[in-house]
Amino acid sequence: MIEIDGPVSVLRRTWGDEEVFARELERVFKRSWQFLAHDSEIPEPGDYVQRRMGRDRVIVVHSEDGVIRVFLNTCRHRGVPLCRADEGNTSHFRCSYHGWTYANTGVLRGVTYQPDVYGRDGIDKSELELFAPAHVDTFLGMIFATWDQDAVPLREYLGDLTWYLEAIMGKFDDGLEVVGTPVRNIVKANWKTEGENLSGDGYHTMVTHATAVELGLFATPKDLEKLTEVVTPRFTGRTVDCGNGHTIRVQRLPVEIESNQYWGYPEEMWEQFDRNLSPGQQQVMSALSVCHGSVFPNMSFIENFKTNVDGPGLHARYFRITVRYPISATHCEQLWFLLQPRNADQKWRRLSAQAYLRTNGPSGMFEIDDTENFVGISEASVGEIARDKPITYLGGLQNPKTPSEVGWPGDVVDGDKTEKTLRAFHRQWAVMMGDNEVVS
Amino acid sequence: MTSNFAPPFAEISQVWASPEEHAAVAAFLAHEAEAIDSRDFATWLSLVDDEFTYQVPVPRTPDNPFSPHFDSRSMLIDESKWSLESQWFRRLDLDLYELSWAENPPVRFRHFVSNIRVRRTDDPKVLDVRSNVMLVGTRQSDAPKFLTGERSDAISVVDDGYRLTRRWVVLDQVVIDFPQLRIML
Repeated sequence: MIEIDGPVSVLRRTWGDEEVFARELERVFKRSWQFLAHDSEIPEPGDYVQRRMGRDRVIVVHSEDGVIRVFLNTCRHRGVPLCRADEGNTSHFRCSYHGWTYANTGVLRGVTYQPDVYGRDGIDKSELELFAPAHVDTFLGMIFATWDQDAVPLREYLGDLTWYLEAIMGKFDDGLEVVGTPVRNIVKANWKTEGENLSGDGYHTMVTHATAVELGLFATPKDLEKLTEVVTPRFTGRTVDCGNGHTIRVQRLPVEIESNQYWGYPEEMWEQFDRNLSPGQQQVMSALSVCHGSVFPNMSFIENFKTNVDGPGLHARYFRITVRYPISATHCEQLWFLLQPRNADQKWRRLSAQAYLRTNGPSGMFEIDDTENFVGISEASVGEIARDKPITYLGGLQNPKTPSEVGWPGDVVDGDKTEKTLRAFHRQWAVMMGDNEVVS
Repeated sequence: MTSNFAPPFAEISQVWASPEEHAAVAAFLAHEAEAIDSRDFATWLSLVDDEFTYQVPVPRTPDNPFSPHFDSRSMLIDESKWSLESQWFRRLDLDLYELSWAENPPVRFRHFVSNIRVRRTDDPKVLDVRSNVMLVGTRQSDAPKFLTGERSDAISVVDDGYRLTRRWVVLDQVVIDFPQLRIML
């Protein structure tokens, strides 16, 4: 008997209907932890970046007292944004309308012409701090916030995914840093579509990315024979439902090896990976072809090993985070963060950045081919007939459970071409939406 | 921190090219744009130096009006002649285009190149050429979208004309709204 682990059918209006979208803003974005920034973007007191939670603009700031805070980017007085730049450094935010001034801790410090306008005791500044989310927390340098007073703590929310994120982001002695300003662009697709794909869709790769295979960006037996002795016929993979809508897929290179091989990183770094990772996490990272997953609702990540990216024999791994801000049922704004290990070899960092840009970067061939699919889904889902037809997620229901002795947390299956993680996403989505009509 | 990327010329030269040289370079840029817009990649590659690099830094809105509106630490595009030939253009070869989903049907690109400024540099064989570029992209039946930016090109003088050696383009739009970001600006 096959165990059904999540919705296998979701109506297409989910990707193009404004009424569904309006409910998502209320039920998903006002209640979920959301990724905002990485602490390396705001290392010094006063550093800030402007981001979004749902459709609200927020300031993420490293306050003078060292605490990272998040504020709605709007003056308590008459609603003008306090911050118009994407990034910068300031001890205070001053409103351009009437000049109310806030410390970067969010405290209202100055009200211009106060006695004239409000009388001597006519206004209590202590009650006019900037609006702030209920909770802000960080994990592995990633800054998250939520408006939900009753939200579970961030680590509990991320659940079993923390172990995998530690394998990816926690293996470096000096940690990761975001490289420069993130790219931002408008994608003419529903905000969920790319997250679904990155949740663990190993099924689309050989079709959508057929040209990348042809161009030598996926490791071939020829590439691998130069790295190791025993090359096996098939790539293998696992997909993991980590709970709360969080997911990951891990695909391994087709090799048999006796010791850990972190191909794609400079060899002098390998020793730190062995030291910083548990044996199970080493298994995830060694001989990695690709791993990618999604943090519910709108963040995804990918660590990818790509071959021949700047000429024959030049292989590299890279790590990327993307986040999608909802704009409408058919449009979103995407942010692209390249993260690299601090103090890594400069030559390797350049190669790794090029590997990223040419494949999973905003102008990379993987992304432009994927985007055409994602845009098409919304275009084909807005019609009166199509909106009530189902999308099917039956892939991989037959995959065997991975034995728990393997030591990978979460609901793990041996299967590289599954839709398990998409069902996991939609299960959480349906719970938050309180929707039994669209999902079955 | 990674090494910073920089435009081709750190200092702006004060020595303008002659009107004849200006006209010849303008014709070269028009020819180059024609080759790209008509997807005649063989011609385009013949106009480009073997060491050609093409970089587009990430645009941003900084908090200081005197800072550049791009970040020289991170790139949107960082390509070489090799990667353009063997990765970008190769996808449109007859044996591959049917699987190059984003380019079948292709986005129609049209360049508008204006405000061309040609200046001499310390090297008599290298010109500092700046221009404004507007790229219009039309995907399938969608309305056209456009991007604007400033190009900074290094163009070498060779026996039979010119070769494009470096291209650095600073985009104006920060949240880029364009059919596709695989763009030759």
